[in-house]
Amino acid sequence: MARSAKAVPWFLFAAGGTVIAFILPVMIFITGIAPAIGLFGDALSYETMHAFVGNWLIKLILLGIIVLAAWHAAHRLRVCAHDFGIRADGAVSIVVYGLAAIASAATVVALLMI
Amino acid sequence: MSERQIELEVLRYRPEMDDKPFFQTYSVPCQEEWVVLDALNYVKDEMDRTLSYRWSCHMFVCGSCGMAINGEPKLACKAFLRDYQTKIRIEPLSNFPIERDLVIVQDDFIEKLESVKPYIIPKQEKPIDQGEYLQTPAQLKAYKQYSMCINCLLCYSACPQYALEEKFIGPAALALAHRYNMDSRDVGRSAREHVVASHDGIWACSFVGACSQVCPKDVDPAGAIQQVKFTSAVDYLTSFLPGGKR
Amino acid sequence: MSRKPYHREVSKTTWFLKQSRYQHYMLHEISSVFVAIYVGVLIVGLFRLAQGPEAWSGWLAAVTSPIGVIFHILVFIFSIIHTTSWFKAVPQAMRIQRGEEIVPGNLIIGAHYGVWAVVSVVVLLVAGVA
Repeated sequence: MARSAKAVPWFLFAAGGTVIAFILPVMIFITGIAPAIGLFGDALSYETMHAFVGNWLIKLILLGIIVLAAWHAAHRLRVCAHDFGIRADGAVSIVVYGLAAIASAATVVALLMI
Repeated sequence: MSERQIELEVLRYRPEMDDKPFFQTYSVPCQEEWVVLDALNYVKDEMDRTLSYRWSCHMFVCGSCGMAINGEPKLACKAFLRDYQTKIRIEPLSNFPIERDLVIVQDDFIEKLESVKPYIIPKQEKPIDQGEYLQTPAQLKAYKQYSMCINCLLCYSACPQYALEEKFIGPAALALAHRYNMDSRDVGRSAREHVVASHDGIWACSFVGACSQVCPKDVDPAGAIQQVKFTSAVDYLTSFLPGGKR
Repeated sequence: MSRKPYHREVSKTTWFLKQSRYQHYMLHEISSVFVAIYVGVLIVGLFRLAQGPEAWSGWLAAVTSPIGVIFHILVFIFSIIHTTSWFKAVPQAMRIQRGEEIVPGNLIIGAHYGVWAVVSVVVLLVAGVA
């Protein structure tokens, strides 16, 4: 038996799981719930958000959060597929990790455009 | 002492005459302070000599009397009747083939246990006249919890990943590998790694955590496996660095 | 005597319905579906922000639409499920030994909740003030 390469995505899964455990609830509140109930006034207006995300430190933090969240979710989805009885682990891995890679690249591009 | 009539619904399977298992009900006069094992012993002694099950110590040390009691993996010697209603359903541990009645086939576990080299591999064997391998209380504490395993197989019975993938090395064997890895007298971690860190080893565990919830000795196999995942992942990643161990 | 072990089948697709502890496990595993979609929503939001004020207000309108709000409430609930189940498991995965003692699990969990509260307040302040 050989050592499994699953160590690599697992590491991202564990790191991402830890980071999003702390940050995601408050982020979801700010981007998804606060605007609907009109909290924060115009903190989410184009001008403030553009200036806020334009800061390179904020860009770096957002990149870290989004990339780790994507890889965390991808690895857990792979396990989920197995748990729901899908046995094509190779194909599932390519799809979920492929999506995570695309999401990571897209985040870099979007942040560079801002 | 008060007596209680208990309906034991026991899954029977007699390979020489049955094609599949069936439930047989025994109405057993029980003492209030009995455990399920006492009730089974009463059946065996007074009602039906043909009923088969494993047991030995009656005090949660030997690990023989694991069975599913109302669907939950338990030691029959640790399942007190006072915690149950009048009807109790008893089946052999799930996730294992049934040899006969409540007796399961354990061969798969024994093979897997051997595969993780569950013994101390010292740096250098030394003759007995050179004395003991010394260890501090702190060094003992590092692995003691994982050394409490009695191989009762409740964890395998609770583990859905073992149920789904029978190649999975499983909770107890991996926890015991961790027990020896954590022992200051042992240098066998890399010798165990090709089994422990394989696809069917720790990486087949998805941390359901059921093993640790049913463990009668609080070994916490789920915790042990996650700790091994971390060290193995660090090993794997650093193996690509210059000077890393392949 | 010949042996004839009896094998009991386990359903590969519905096994988790059998026990409540398996259902709890599946609940926090399924959080990944919502996290994945939320990541997608965020990335789209970043692109819209880069494209200018109109695109951004379009994204905001989508987020605040009824479907958007229902989705975010669901993601929020699952993110809380993820956080609490993750913190609960930390002492098992991260066993800390000090001398001859193992640091109590509740202390580690409590510290995580403390940090979670601080992080959340700081992020709220930064976002609110920004």
